[in-house]
Amino acid sequence: MSAYKGPHILGVYATIDELIDGIRVLKKEGKKRFSVISPVPHHDIEHELHPKPSPVRVFTLIGGLFGFTLGWALTYYATESYPLIVGGKPYISIPPYGIIAYILTILFGALATIAGLFFNARLPEFVIKDAYDERLSSDHFAIQYYGDTGELDAVENLLNKTGAIELHKKIEEVPQKKQFVD
Amino acid sequence: MPSSYKLSYTKTDADLLNTLKSPSKGYWIALFILSIGLLIGAYGWGSQIYYGMGMSGKNNPVGWALYITTFVFWVGIAHSGTLISAILFLFRVRWRAPVYRSAEAVTVFALMVAGLFPLIHLGRPWVFYWMLPIPQMGEMFPNFKSPLVWDLFAVFTYLTVSSTFFILGMMPDVAILRDKFKGWKKKVYGLLALGWRGTDQQWRHYTAAYVFLAALATPLVISVHSIVSWDFAMSVVPGWHDTIFAPYFVAGAIHSGLAMVILLLIPMRKWFALKEYITDHHLASLAKLMIFTAFVVGFAYVIEFFMAWYGGDIYKRDVFLFRAFGTYWWSFWGLFLFNFILPMLFWSHKYRTSTFWLIFVSVGVSIGMWLERFVIIITSLSHEFNPFAWGFHELTITEVYIIIGSFSLFFFLFLVFSKILPVVSNWEVKEVIEPPRKK
Repeated sequence: MSAYKGPHILGVYATIDELIDGIRVLKKEGKKRFSVISPVPHHDIEHELHPKPSPVRVFTLIGGLFGFTLGWALTYYATESYPLIVGGKPYISIPPYGIIAYILTILFGALATIAGLFFNARLPEFVIKDAYDERLSSDHFAIQYYGDTGELDAVENLLNKTGAIELHKKIEEVPQKKQFVD
Repeated sequence: MPSSYKLSYTKTDADLLNTLKSPSKGYWIALFILSIGLLIGAYGWGSQIYYGMGMSGKNNPVGWALYITTFVFWVGIAHSGTLISAILFLFRVRWRAPVYRSAEAVTVFALMVAGLFPLIHLGRPWVFYWMLPIPQMGEMFPNFKSPLVWDLFAVFTYLTVSSTFFILGMMPDVAILRDKFKGWKKKVYGLLALGWRGTDQQWRHYTAAYVFLAALATPLVISVHSIVSWDFAMSVVPGWHDTIFAPYFVAGAIHSGLAMVILLLIPMRKWFALKEYITDHHLASLAKLMIFTAFVVGFAYVIEFFMAWYGGDIYKRDVFLFRAFGTYWWSFWGLFLFNFILPMLFWSHKYRTSTFWLIFVSVGVSIGMWLERFVIIITSLSHEFNPFAWGFHELTITEVYIIIGSFSLFFFLFLVFSKILPVVSNWEVKEVIEPPRKK
């Protein structure tokens, strides 16, 4: 799965304060096509970016509902396909089948949550194609800005001014899909 | 975490790498001893498969014996991991950050070991799939009204969800290892990190998924051991047929799990020099939780006796008298002493912060909780309704071998984990310390 979205510049920051400055300056200049890389989620960053609630919750809900339905359907079908009447009692029994439905709600809810995370976060990405700095997972921060070459030069200046200690630029275009010509 | 911490992002990374340095001689010796234990267990199980179930001590009337005792024990051990990783996370308990990874590892490995025991108990493990919801001849499925089928679903779901939570929690830490190491290690950790970069979008979805997984795992802490308890409570065996079993089992599970977490954390913080992460404060907090769980199990022990007397069922009353004063009296008084009396030492700050007493009480509680399952299973089955059918369990060396093997497997897995993956959740520790700021 490729996450490469085209030419971009990566400005690496040593402190969170400078990173926040960088985000503020970009926002002030009306530049929106950027993402922030940090070793941990931090409330200062969230405060600047105002992220929307993640759609992962929808996956969890759908997975849970699927598991719940499967639990009832499986137990109902199993009993109907081989009815075993004991003491003249109804052979479809709600309490024990509810336990299976409850467990499968959790199981499929969890599996769908993982699927939702992978789908939305564009994971797994076994080869990192974007510019990356190995300090970013430990104690450095970065702003990654996407744009055309001219725009990247302007952003480079802004990132430098806000205290970026290192800049990595990648200007490869996204490979186009082959067109069939008759 | 206490505000007196002087940790930085750089230091936490250095300490993380320190835990993964080449193992010491002591580590290899421990691994060797555990490998011998594993071979003993494999020999025990192998000989039982070859010669038949007569090698185990289970026989009429004690048809569920030490294998199911040990199964329930290991499922119980698993519970504190999810309590610490999921429930304390949802309640935003800050001291959980450095200890939760090990606790979650305890959950996963204990469940893996527990999962073996129903197979060992089956006698013919290769037909285990008969329990799965696969129709046999004539569209015949397993009986979904049986607690044993609920148990299979519950334990499998618990293993899946807790393993997922465990692996997912490690992703950002494995990315640190990918970025720090060179050569083949970089490639291996790179594959395991799944391309994690820590972008705001990744963190946004990751933290949401983490919360939902924690929320899904939380009811499992309650339900899994409740369902295990219904394996007993749904039957009519005197001493098993009790409505209190579900909360009683859950509290007991957390009690034993906390003991096991303390037992593993203390040597780990010494060997990996993690005293700044796993402090006396953390161990004392776990000890305080043990006081609470000790009171719950203590209450359950007393109320079981009360119900045996108050319920007026002569068979049940007789079983409880047999538990306290019959052949297995030592196990009953042992569990009361180990599980209830001993943890009361933790009311004192001195005992809560003493490494010796923490280990002493935790070993005691681990023994006590195994005895609790022994008492429930063995005493009830050996003293059922009909005096002509009374009988005792006769311990065999095969059972001992298999139990030694199970403990060896658990500690072996934990030891291997501690040297190849981060034992402390680095990113969650960083979340509660000050990030690098402009001076």
